[in-house]
Amino acid sequence: MKTTCKEIRKQILHIAKESGHGHIPTCFSIVEILCAVYSTLRHDPRDPLWEKRDLFILSKGHGALAHYCVLGRWGYFDPERVHALGAFRSDFGCHADRFKIPGIEASTGSLGHGIGLAVGMALALKIDRSERRVMTLIGDGEANEGSVWEALLVAANLGLPNLTVIYDDNRSHSRGLQILNPAEKLRAFGCEVTEADGHDVEALKAALRHRGKYMQAIVARTCKGCGCPTFVGSPYEWHRRSPNDDEYRMLLEELDAQAV
Amino acid sequence: MRRQFKNTVMDLALHEDRIVMILGDVSVYLFKDFQEKYPNRFYNMGISENTLISVGAGLSAMGFYPFVHTIAPFITERSYEQIKLDMCYNRFGGNIVSCGASFDYAWDGATHHAYTDLAILRLLPGMEVIQPGSTRELDILLRSQYNNGNPTYFRLSDHPHHVDVPVEFGRGVALKDTGAAVTVMTAGPLLGNVLEACRDLPVNLVYFHTLKPIDTELIRRFRDTRTVVVHDAFGLKEAVCEVPDLRVVFHGMQDAFCASYGTLHDIRRQLGLDPAGIREFVSGVVQRCGPYHQEGKIFL
Repeated sequence: MKTTCKEIRKQILHIAKESGHGHIPTCFSIVEILCAVYSTLRHDPRDPLWEKRDLFILSKGHGALAHYCVLGRWGYFDPERVHALGAFRSDFGCHADRFKIPGIEASTGSLGHGIGLAVGMALALKIDRSERRVMTLIGDGEANEGSVWEALLVAANLGLPNLTVIYDDNRSHSRGLQILNPAEKLRAFGCEVTEADGHDVEALKAALRHRGKYMQAIVARTCKGCGCPTFVGSPYEWHRRSPNDDEYRMLLEELDAQAV
Repeated sequence: MRRQFKNTVMDLALHEDRIVMILGDVSVYLFKDFQEKYPNRFYNMGISENTLISVGAGLSAMGFYPFVHTIAPFITERSYEQIKLDMCYNRFGGNIVSCGASFDYAWDGATHHAYTDLAILRLLPGMEVIQPGSTRELDILLRSQYNNGNPTYFRLSDHPHHVDVPVEFGRGVALKDTGAAVTVMTAGPLLGNVLEACRDLPVNLVYFHTLKPIDTELIRRFRDTRTVVVHDAFGLKEAVCEVPDLRVVFHGMQDAFCASYGTLHDIRRQLGLDPAGIREFVSGVVQRCGPYHQEGKIFL
């Protein structure tokens, strides 16, 4: 899986360079999380609307490029199509459109929406007494939004053990409104919390497989830009920037030199 | 009108097991029958308007027909982005049913007045905007629209009119078409005051309960007349003006908060939307335009 994740990062980097789009450090932060999600979800890439599938919503919608690359890797579509990222008439925008991309359950972009949708979907499955489950990935910066915590309050009240909230704790909030000790806060809001290394696919898979009595939150300790020291050292400079040819070569070398 | 809402939903639920009630800590006692009969499809989610809409959209995504219900300004203005993105952009439609229309909660002040809801929701692609004026209109329109998959806004009022008009979604009604030079257009519960004000005035009278889609075909029939839109909210005038080249004047809301308390009738009087105020305004237009339509006789 480590090789897969490295290849996905190279693909993200390549598409970002070619297209001039993509939030690379954000995408690098969630590669292992997405691989763990699609290794755990009950889903069928040949039948994206399979009625027994589990649901995943990328609430931090600006990670769309990573999501595309992982979906492509899992066979939802030809990964080559993602190279048109952000182009006029391309199906692949910097935030995903569920009507254009197989495997995308909800169009997201404005932060703080995916979790409320996920609560509604999980409630629907509870009413139907279905075994299906819902996962959503939120960012720590996104957790500045009040709607995140409002949705958690409602979810706790509804009792939704079929809901898993993955919290990408890449400390991107550090220059804005800080959220210290998210595990404690999520626990206080009614979640059964697991903390995991967000770049360890096996650890994440083990956490995702867990089914408890309450809604679950996984605090994934991640590193914004993981894989390239250049991004890690200066994630804000690279938040929405694409590399030129020289930078691209250097970043590829950095990726090759990394253990993950 | 809220009681009619409950009665209609109870009746629909007899044959429809995909209805889910989502209340924002409002009308909870009213819906106790529903709660007792369908406990797993009744949720009072508290004062969390953003989440009410998102959860409604999530339920809709899974094939349910949600009814999201709470107070008008909070569910529309506060949750506008959730309605726009979760319900409209994602096409996870559902029913948003508000109470506290316009100045129904006059005594609570400007925080509880709701007069932009119709106008702002009309701007959202795919949205259906309904302002039923009577309990009968509400009953018919709820039944015809609740399960069509679109996001639909129903604006309930505590002061319905008692006029019996033909009701079909998306269709306005010409209540008076006398070839007059002036056409009064109104919507919702204010029809009662408008009818009283215009009873013996030489005007045509057109009524709407659906503001989106607006019945442009009907409006076109009166395009050669001077149109007076009389309404206690924003939204109808903008809808009427979808038809190009109309000569429209608006009598109703101003660009100011309403800082008064009192009752709906007090506020309507202050805005000139009581029968006397409406009559005075419309009479002025009629005086300037003449009673019957003739080319060259419209000066306003």
